[in-house]
Amino acid sequence: DKDCPKIWESLKQAFIYKNPCNITTEDYQPLMELASHPIPCNKSLFWSKTNDLVHRYTKSNHNFLTLEDTLLGYMADRVSWCGDPSAPGINYESCPKRTECESNPISVFWKMASKMFAEAACGVVQVMLNGSIEAGAFRSSSIFGSIEISNLNPDKVSAVQIWLMHDIGGPQSESCSGYSIRRLKDTLEERNLKFTCEENHRPVQLLQCVNNPDHADCRLCSSKT
Amino acid sequence: MNSFFLSLLFLSLLFMTSLSEGQGKKWKGEGTTPNLESIVIGRCYEYTRIVNPSVGEKNCSELWEAFKNAFIKKDPCNILPTDYELFINLSLHTIPPNKSLFWENNQLLVNSFSGRTRRYTALGDTLFGFFADLLNWCGQATSPGLDYDSCPTTEECENNAVDSFWRMASITYAQHSSGVIHVLLNGSAEGGAYPVKGFFADYEIPNLQKDKISKIVIWVVDDIEGPDGDSCGIHTVKILEDRLKTLGYDVTCTDDYKPVMFLLCVDHPDHSKCAFSSSAPAAQRGPISSDRGGSWNKLMFVTFVGLLFRSALVY
Repeated sequence: DKDCPKIWESLKQAFIYKNPCNITTEDYQPLMELASHPIPCNKSLFWSKTNDLVHRYTKSNHNFLTLEDTLLGYMADRVSWCGDPSAPGINYESCPKRTECESNPISVFWKMASKMFAEAACGVVQVMLNGSIEAGAFRSSSIFGSIEISNLNPDKVSAVQIWLMHDIGGPQSESCSGYSIRRLKDTLEERNLKFTCEENHRPVQLLQCVNNPDHADCRLCSSKT
Repeated sequence: MNSFFLSLLFLSLLFMTSLSEGQGKKWKGEGTTPNLESIVIGRCYEYTRIVNPSVGEKNCSELWEAFKNAFIKKDPCNILPTDYELFINLSLHTIPPNKSLFWENNQLLVNSFSGRTRRYTALGDTLFGFFADLLNWCGQATSPGLDYDSCPTTEECENNAVDSFWRMASITYAQHSSGVIHVLLNGSAEGGAYPVKGFFADYEIPNLQKDKISKIVIWVVDDIEGPDGDSCGIHTVKILEDRLKTLGYDVTCTDDYKPVMFLLCVDHPDHSKCAFSSSAPAAQRGPISSDRGGSWNKLMFVTFVGLLFRSALVY
């Protein structure tokens, strides 16, 4: 049972009347404590550069949870906020972008929430990466690379399973033996985390086919054509 | 003797408490959803600010008041669709042409498939539908409060707050639908894919605006694990097709509409209906435990051919 009004209050207190370029993780500590909840083992699903697909997947298949499917992530998804020292204390007109200042309320929030999400993970964790982007499927500068990996607990997490997805009809820029995936493998193994990689995990590929039903890669045996 | 009377007393106490528990609830159905007011007002803001800002600004508190006044302080078995008229007027917005999606016996699937207006705009993707979807509510005649304990089921009385709401919402949705109309039916449903008595049959079809509609497209999709019941051209689907044609509509019907099949397959990837045909290359690659297989072998092959070619050139 969660006290929703109290959770809103603790979110508000984290940023109201404050300089929006000076937000710290301590500001969000009460909120994180009130809104966090345990995550069942083997259900954590991390992602990088697959926002649309990964959330369509968790909406159809409730076996996995992304950060945005936890209470904290769900509440904050697609909304933004920032404060200002002058009344009314909340700025509805504009908020600093990350390029303007890193310690803005939104960036700090998601960094903290991601850290906690990683810390809470146990059992086999899944990661959905995009094998069709030129810059590489795994980037150490992403939230996944810079925050989540380092906060996975090797005593709780038994393995990290990568689902490397290619766009239907899209470039196969990287495979499981690709350069950035091998770097990811090394990083994980250095932390004593077992690594597996699967290209185009079938249930997710089926979901991609909803939008590309006539593509050659989506031909079903049972199809009448 | 004493212990006998004690046990008798104990038993009768037990009996009385179980009796009173059974008699405590007025109705057989679940009570009003807890925190209903906060939920619907929040949904109203979420819809108008995030899901579909094109509907413009709506006064969400006003919407809640209009909704509430439709059924509070009234006999919970005497709520009529027209009681929600003000609520509908305040929450109405245009539905884009060619985006309407009607359905029967597959609510969660339709919800997934419509993608919250990204693919289609089902009733649950309109403001008035989004507002109340999957919630429950009722009032009572003797007080202005909501009944959180129990609410009448359809069997107990037809004119209950929830059913009357959805009748009004369905009528409105049908009246404002235009262009190509889509209907998704469940071929595995008991009793047939098209319920001859149901929301679609009784409240939606009669309220479609013929002059605004170009075509009606019917999709019949079976559950992946379900029986192959109805299909286009037979049984209840034929009844529907005939009814719509008689009304003067241009009707087409498709079995196993592929995009929906794929969506159902997400939960049954290993079912034979969901197997990719062998010419689909990407599907063939199975799990790799950090092995260099795939492209490494390809690289070797290409290098080998390249070397062969070079040596051939030299000679």
